[in-house]
Amino acid sequence: MAQATVIAIMIAIVGFPILMTPVIMYSCRFSEKLRNTLSIITSAIVFVLTLLLYPFVIDGGEIQFTLFEVLPNLEISLRLDILSFCLAVLASFIWFLCTVYSLDYMAKEHACGRYYPVLIFTLGSCQGIFFAGDLFSLFVFFELMSLIAYILVIHEETEEALKAGYKYLVMTIIGGLALFFGMIIIFELGGTVSLGVGVIIEESSALAFLAFICFLIGFGMKAGMFPLHVWLPDAHPVAPSPASALLSGIMLKTGAYGLIRVIFHVFSPELMKSSGWDLVLSVLAVITILLGSAVALTQTDIKRRLAYSSISQLGYVLLGLSILNSNAVIGAVFHIFSHAFMKSVLFLAAGAIIWNTGKRQIADLKGIGREMPVTMGCFSVAALAMIGIPPLNGFLSKWTLALGALDANMAIYVLVLLISSLLNALYYLPIIIPAFFELPDGNNHDHQEDHAHQELQFNIREATPAMLSVMIILALCTFIFGLTPNNVAFTLSRLTSEFLLMGGF
Amino acid sequence: MFAAVPEHSLLTGPLYYSSLPLWITMIPMLAGIGIYFLKDHWEAVRKGAALVVSFFALVGVILLFPYSLTGVVSYDLIDFMQMGLFFEVDLIGWIFSFLITAVWFLATVFSFAYMDLEHNRRRYYSVLIFTLGATLGVVMAGDFFTLFLFFELMTLSSFILVIHQQDVQSMKAGILYLYLGIFGGLSLLFAIMMLFSATGSVDIAPALDLLGTQRTAIFVFFLIGFGIKAGIVPLHIWLPQAHPVAPSPASALLSGIMIKAGAYGILRVSLILFSAPGELSAPDASYMFIVGNVLMWIGIVTMLAGAAMALLQSNMKRILAYSSVSQMGYIVTGLGVAAFAGIEGGMGFAGAVYHVINHAFFKAGLFIMVGTIYIYTHELELPRLGGMIKKMPLVAATFIIAAFGIAGIPGFNGYPSKTLVHDALLIAFRDYGLISINVAEKIFVLTSALTICYFIKLFRGVFLGPVPEKLDRDYKLPFSVNAVLSSFALIIIVIGLFPNLILERVLVPVAETLKYEGYAMDHLYHFHFFEWHPIEAMIIVVILAVIIYIPAAYRGWFDWKPPWWLSVYALIYQPVTYRLMDVTCRAGVMVDSSVDSAYNRSGSAARTWCNYIGNFDSGLDRFYETSGKAARKLADRSTDMDSRLDDFYEKSGKAARKLADRSTDMDSALDDAYRKTAETAKKMVDQTSKAESRLDGVYDRAGRKTREEIEKRLSEKREKTGRFDPAKWTTKNLSFDTLLLVLVLSIVLLVIFYFGRTL
Repeated sequence: MAQATVIAIMIAIVGFPILMTPVIMYSCRFSEKLRNTLSIITSAIVFVLTLLLYPFVIDGGEIQFTLFEVLPNLEISLRLDILSFCLAVLASFIWFLCTVYSLDYMAKEHACGRYYPVLIFTLGSCQGIFFAGDLFSLFVFFELMSLIAYILVIHEETEEALKAGYKYLVMTIIGGLALFFGMIIIFELGGTVSLGVGVIIEESSALAFLAFICFLIGFGMKAGMFPLHVWLPDAHPVAPSPASALLSGIMLKTGAYGLIRVIFHVFSPELMKSSGWDLVLSVLAVITILLGSAVALTQTDIKRRLAYSSISQLGYVLLGLSILNSNAVIGAVFHIFSHAFMKSVLFLAAGAIIWNTGKRQIADLKGIGREMPVTMGCFSVAALAMIGIPPLNGFLSKWTLALGALDANMAIYVLVLLISSLLNALYYLPIIIPAFFELPDGNNHDHQEDHAHQELQFNIREATPAMLSVMIILALCTFIFGLTPNNVAFTLSRLTSEFLLMGGF
Repeated sequence: MFAAVPEHSLLTGPLYYSSLPLWITMIPMLAGIGIYFLKDHWEAVRKGAALVVSFFALVGVILLFPYSLTGVVSYDLIDFMQMGLFFEVDLIGWIFSFLITAVWFLATVFSFAYMDLEHNRRRYYSVLIFTLGATLGVVMAGDFFTLFLFFELMTLSSFILVIHQQDVQSMKAGILYLYLGIFGGLSLLFAIMMLFSATGSVDIAPALDLLGTQRTAIFVFFLIGFGIKAGIVPLHIWLPQAHPVAPSPASALLSGIMIKAGAYGILRVSLILFSAPGELSAPDASYMFIVGNVLMWIGIVTMLAGAAMALLQSNMKRILAYSSVSQMGYIVTGLGVAAFAGIEGGMGFAGAVYHVINHAFFKAGLFIMVGTIYIYTHELELPRLGGMIKKMPLVAATFIIAAFGIAGIPGFNGYPSKTLVHDALLIAFRDYGLISINVAEKIFVLTSALTICYFIKLFRGVFLGPVPEKLDRDYKLPFSVNAVLSSFALIIIVIGLFPNLILERVLVPVAETLKYEGYAMDHLYHFHFFEWHPIEAMIIVVILAVIIYIPAAYRGWFDWKPPWWLSVYALIYQPVTYRLMDVTCRAGVMVDSSVDSAYNRSGSAARTWCNYIGNFDSGLDRFYETSGKAARKLADRSTDMDSRLDDFYEKSGKAARKLADRSTDMDSALDDAYRKTAETAKKMVDQTSKAESRLDGVYDRAGRKTREEIEKRLSEKREKTGRFDPAKWTTKNLSFDTLLLVLVLSIVLLVIFYFGRTL
C-alpha cells in the first residue's frame, strides 16, 4: 500500500469522527433515527478503515508523518506502527459494538442528543492518541479525550454522577499537567518530543527521572494505577453502561499505551532496567493488583465491583511492562486485548441487567440467570476468563505474563497473579453461582418428590437482540482469542513485543 | 508446541499417531453441550444420546488398548492455546481411561432409573457427558498444560453435578468444592509454570535433575493441586460434604473416578516427573527418599483419619465418602513407597495402580447400591433404615460382594491390591529397616480392620434388623439397575478370583516401562496371592476387626458424634480463610479509603490554603481600598486646601484690587489735593494780586517778595511729593509685584507648615 494512501486513511480515521460530531449533533434536530444511523455508520467506517491498515502494518510498515508545525520542533504528527494499530483496531471494534449496544440501551435514557456526538468525538480523539506521532500530539488528543469523556461520565446528572465527574475532572487535569511538565522536560533534554526517533533520553539523570515520574502520574492516572486510581471506581459505575464499557475497556488502555510509548520510545528498556525505574512501576503494579482485587471483594454494587476489578486487571498490564522481557510484554499487550473483551462483556451484561430489572446490588441478582440466561451466560464466560480458566483468553494472558515473570526470576509476581486470580474467583463466583443455581428465598425444597419431573423454571425476560448479539460476539471473542491456533490478537501481541524490544520483526 | 521426544523419554515402543484420543475427549464434550439444547420432553433422545456417547467413549478406549500396550498413541493440535494441545495415551493413561469409560457407562445406565425422580434432567445429562470428556482429557493429556486445561474443565463441570439438588446443604458443599478446586487449580498452574520456566517444557517426563532448587516448591504445589482433588488429609474436607449431596450416580463417579484424577496427577508427578528409577544420582535418590516418605505418611494419615471418621458417620453416603478418603490413603501410600524405594518401587507402584482400579469398581458400585436403596426409600440415615435384605436381596448380595472387595477378603478384588501395598511396605521395611515404616505397616493393618468395622456397621444398619414400617412394601427393581449392579459384582469377583490376570497383563508391563527392577519386580512376575503368607495377613486383619467391633458396637462408640470444633474445617480452614479474607479485605479497603481520603484531605487542605490566599487577597484589597480612601481624603483635603488657597488667592486678589483701588483713590485724592492746593494757590495769587492792586506801590516789593516766597515754597513742595524717600516707605507706596512675591512666599511657608503638622 502506498504511503500516501496510508496517511490519508490515518487522517480519515482521526478526522472523520471528529468532523461527523457536529453533523450528528445537527441531525438530532431532524430525527433520532438519522442520528443513530449516522453514529453507527461513523463508528463502522472507522473500524473498517482501521482494518484496511492491517496489510501495511503486518509487513512491518512504519510511518511517521508531520501534519503541521505549531512551534519550531513542536508539531502535530501522525505515526503508524504495529502498536498503534493493535490499539486502534481494538478500540474501533469495541467502539462499534458499544455504539450498536447503545441504540437500545440509550433509548430509555435522556439527553441522547448529547450522548452520541460525544461518543463519536471521543472515538476520534481516542484514535488520535493511538496515531499520535509525538508526545505533543499525544498530549493534545489525550486531553481532548479525557475532557470530552467527562460528559459521558456525568451523563446521568445525578448528584453522585456529578460528584464522580468532578473527581474525574480534577484528576484528569492533574494528570494532564503532569504530562505537560514531563513533555517539557523531555523537550528540554532531548530537543524533540517525536516518537519516531527511537530513543530520546539515553542517560539517566534526575531530570529524566522527574520526567518519568511525571509520565507515570499522567498516564498512570488514566490507567488507574495506585495511588491515582481513586477516580475510577466512582466514575466508571455512574456512566451509562456502554460508556462504562468503553471507559473500562478502551479508555483505561490509553494510559497503558502512553506508558508503553514512554518506556520504549522516549526512554528505553535498557535505561529503565539499568536505572532501576522499572522497580517503581512494578511495586505500584503489585499494589494495584492486590488492592483492586481485595477491594472488589467488599463491593456490593455490581458495577463498582467491576470497576475495582478493572483496576486490578490494569495492574497486570503495568506489571508486564515493568518486567520488560519478551514474554511479559506479549502478556501485557495481549492482556490489553483480553481485558478489553472481558470487561466490556461484563459491563454490557451488567448494564443489560440494570436496564432490564433495575437491580444493581449483587445480593438482588439471585436467580437472574433464569431470567436472562444469555446475558448471564456471557457474563459468566467473561468472568471465568477473568479468573483465568482455560481455554479462555484471560488464562492465556496470565500464562504469558507469568512466564515473563518466571523468565525474569520473579516467582513472587506469579504468586501475586495467582492470588489475584483466586480473589477474582472469590468476587465473581458469588455473582454467577446464585444467579444460576440458587433458588429464590423460601423455595428450598427438602423433599425431592416435590420437584421430581420438573426442570428449572425459566422466566425469560431477556435484553433486546441487538444488545444480546453484541454481548455474544464479545463473549465469543474471549473464547476465540484464547483457544484457537490462528489467534490474531496473540500474533499481534507477539509482533508488537518483537517490535518494541527488538525494533522490528 | 510439538511434542519433541525428550531425552529421558519413557517411550519404549513405537509412537502411534492417531486422532482417536482427541475424538474420545471432544465428542463427549460437544455432545454434552448439545444435549443441553434438546427439548425438555425429549427424554428418550436424551437418554439415548448419553448412552451412545458413553458407549462410544468406552469402545474408543478399548480400541486403543493394543497400541497403548506396545507403544504410545499420541496426537497434537499445534498452537491451540498457543502452547498446543497434546494427547498421549500410554499404558498408565490407558488404564485410567478404561476405568473412567467403563464406570461412566455403568453409571450412565444407572442414571436412567435414578434420575427419573430428579428435576433438571436436561442439565444433569448434559453435564454428565461433558464431564466424561473432560475427565478423559485429564488422563489422556500428553503434557501438564493439556492436563491442567482438562482438569479445570472437570472441576467446573462436576461442580454442577455436586449442586444438582440446589438445596442449602448442597450449595454449601458445592461452593466449598468449587473454591477449593479453583485454589487447587491455581496451585497446579503455579507448579506447571515453574516447571516450564525451569525445564522449558511441560512434558510429563523425568526432569528432576533440571528442576534445581525449586523442586521442593514445585512438588508441594503439585501435591496441593492434585491432593485437593484426591482428597488427601488435610485437603479432604470438601469430599465428605460434596460426594453425599450429589445424585447417587454422580456420587459414584465423583468418588469412584474423579478423585482418581488427583491420584493420577500425583502418580505422574511423583513417579515420572520426579523420579526415573535407575537413573537417579545419589543426592537425587536421597531427595526422593524424603519426598516418598512424606508422601507415604500423608497416605497413612489419610487412610487412618478417613477410616476413623467413616466409623462415626450415620449417613450411608457419608460413610462411603469418608471411606473414599481412606482408600485414597492406600493409593497414596503405595505411590509414596514406590517413590522412595527407587528401582525397588515396583511393588508399591503396582499396588497403588491396582487399588485405583479396584477402588473405582467397588466404590462406584457401593454408591450405586446405596443410590438404589435411596430411589425406593428416600432415606440415607442408617437409624431409619433396616431389613433391606428381605426387600432387595439382589442389592444385599452385590453389596456384600462389594464390601468384601473393599475389606480385602481373599477372592474379592480389594484383596490383591491391598496385599501388594502391604507387601511393598514389608519389603521397604526389610530394605531400610526403619521403625517408621514398621509403624506405618501396623497402621495399615489397623486401618484395614477399621474398614471392615464400618462396613459391618453399614451392612447391619441397612440390611439387617427389622424393616421400618414406613418402608415396608414391595420393591421391584428395573432390569437396568439389576444389570448394572450385577456387572459391578461380576467385575469384583472376576478380578478377585483371577488377580494375576490384570497384574501380569497390564501392571507388570507398566512397571517395566518405568524401569523398575530388583527383588520387588521378581516377586511381581509370579505373585502368588493365594498363598498362606498374604492370606495370613488378612486373617489377622479380620480378627482384629472383630476384636474392635464387638465391644465398640456394644458400648455404642460408633454413635459418638465428634464435636464441630474438632473438625479440620473448624480448626484450620475456617479460622485461616476467615482471617485471611478479613485481613485482605480490611487491608485493601483501608489502603483504598486512606488513599481516597488523602486526596480529599489534600483537596480540602488546598482549599484551606486557597482560603488563606483569598483572605490575603481580600486583605490586600481592603488595604488598597483604605489607602485609596485615604488618598481620596488626602485629595479631598488638598482640593479643600486648593480651594481655600483659591479663596485665599481670590481674597488676596480682592484685597490687592481694593488696595489698588484705594491707591487709585489715594492717587485721585492726591490729585484733588494738588488741584485744591493749586486752586488755593491761585486764589491766594488772586487775593495777593487784589492786595497788590490795592496796595500797589506799598506793598510792591513786599508783594514781590511774598510771591517769590510762595513760588519757592510751592516748588519745594512739588519736589517733595515727586521723589522716593525710603524713610517714608509705607504700604501706601508698595507695588503689586512685591505683594505677589510675599504672598507666594507665605503660601509656601503655609504649605510647609501644614504638612509639617500632618505628616
